[in-house]
Amino acid sequence: MLRIENLSKSYGKRPVLQDLSLSIEAGEVYALLGPNGAGKTTTINIICNLLRADRGQVWINDQPASDRTKPFIGIAPQENLLYRLLSCAENLQFFGRIYGFHGQRLQHQVQACLAAVNLSDRANSVVETLSGGMQRRMNVAIALVHQPKLVILDEPTTGLDIEARYEMWELIRQLQQQGITVLLTTHLLDEAERLANRIGILRQGRIIAEGSLTELRQYIPAQEILVIQTPDPEKAIELGLQAGFTPRRYDNDLAFWLPEHLELKELIDRFEGIEIDSIARQPIRLEHIYLEVTQSASRSPE
Amino acid sequence: MNYWYETLAVAQRILIELFRRRRSLIFWSIFPISVLLLNGLILAERAKLPFDQAFENAAPGSLVGAALFFSCLGGSVATVVSEREQLTLKRLFISPLSGISYFLGIFLAHSLIGIGQTLLVYMIAAFWDAQFNGSIWLGIVIILLSIIAYVGVGFVLGTQLAKRTEDVNALVAAFGVPLLILGGAFLPTSLFPKTLLDLAQFNPIYHMNEALLGVSANGDGLAEIEPHFRFLALFALAMVIAGWLSYRRMLQVERRL
Repeated sequence: MLRIENLSKSYGKRPVLQDLSLSIEAGEVYALLGPNGAGKTTTINIICNLLRADRGQVWINDQPASDRTKPFIGIAPQENLLYRLLSCAENLQFFGRIYGFHGQRLQHQVQACLAAVNLSDRANSVVETLSGGMQRRMNVAIALVHQPKLVILDEPTTGLDIEARYEMWELIRQLQQQGITVLLTTHLLDEAERLANRIGILRQGRIIAEGSLTELRQYIPAQEILVIQTPDPEKAIELGLQAGFTPRRYDNDLAFWLPEHLELKELIDRFEGIEIDSIARQPIRLEHIYLEVTQSASRSPE
Repeated sequence: MNYWYETLAVAQRILIELFRRRRSLIFWSIFPISVLLLNGLILAERAKLPFDQAFENAAPGSLVGAALFFSCLGGSVATVVSEREQLTLKRLFISPLSGISYFLGIFLAHSLIGIGQTLLVYMIAAFWDAQFNGSIWLGIVIILLSIIAYVGVGFVLGTQLAKRTEDVNALVAAFGVPLLILGGAFLPTSLFPKTLLDLAQFNPIYHMNEALLGVSANGDGLAEIEPHFRFLALFALAMVIAGWLSYRRMLQVERRL
């Protein structure tokens, strides 16, 4: 559905994308992760034909990206781009008409999109009277009104409360069930982990890791992660290394990669001789993989 | 056909927003009425004209010189600026909406507002027995050319100069008010000294005003108002081109998410 080949883009002398390549199959949810300034928004701009790449090519539905491929794409940008004095239904009608929908077909699409984002009962409410979460959902509804094949969701749950976030996740799952391809950018690794079939980690304009969550787990050669809280972290690291564990710091937590599954008693035994406030085993999460991949990329020379 | 649907969609959207801001709608109605009443009463009193003639002379200037200026020029600038502030302009850039449809949509919406103001002005003038003495069709063409010119200028100002809502008032005041006075919107040009009159020849509002005044009050035909009509037509064409180029430039500069 989406194929990006060797995309490069610079703003002045500052390279933003460097030989970026990725492809997303139809019906896939692909999460594009990366720190601020990694090139996510530039990539989206080029996909939407708003920005011209210096080199490389973007293919959407087997056609080179151009104004003619715009109808294939639905995008919900980071900001809620809505007409605040129009009702929900009027917003959808306006954008539907711009994409060439009329009459019964348009009305059907408007109702379907409102239902998809759980706003059917607010069809006639003026947008500026909606809560932030509802406006966020309307932002997504507009992306769907013209039945796009590829939906780009740029941080769709930023600023949403937990219930609204769950609703948004459910909507993304429904899109996937309908065979719609989703390109998701998010800072919430939990979100990517739950929703994405494949994940790409972007750093300084390059994909530095890509694959399903299972494939990405290979970046951490461990079975699980042990998190320890102790007043003597230096000693804990020393003991951990002696036991064959790889130490890491995640925020304020001292953690160890465990190469094999060990019972809790065995783990406590390995740290005998130091005071332990708490000890917990954790599965390997995308957060750990992300940190490992981005930090090792920043350590390695360009 | 797509252009037509897109144009209708843009125009309908602008009009819905206007009707939602009921207060603005009331002000758009109050403005031409008050200007017409003041102009009519001043002319009747100071020029010693009977009320019907005073209002026949006051109506054209009040309409094209004042009402359409603020609603069509100010309104077009405000439409573009508000799209930019609400960021909906970005949503339009992503969509297949063409620049032509966008321009035509704004033009259509403001034409309808202008037609509403025209009816209002001439209905109130008719209350004092004022009549439209020339060809109504020619009058409609002059009004439409004036609206095209205003929307074109509004596009240029909205896309290039006014970045925020606060800029709109400053721009309209800086460019507009002197041009309106020099165009004869508030004071008959017959009272102008020669130097001002020479200067007014370069003011499109003067030509709009004189063309409509000739047709509406004096019953002139195209031949009599030909220099004004030609200036107005060329200016409207130039403003459509300038508006289009400005829109293209805005696309290049602002087409980003």
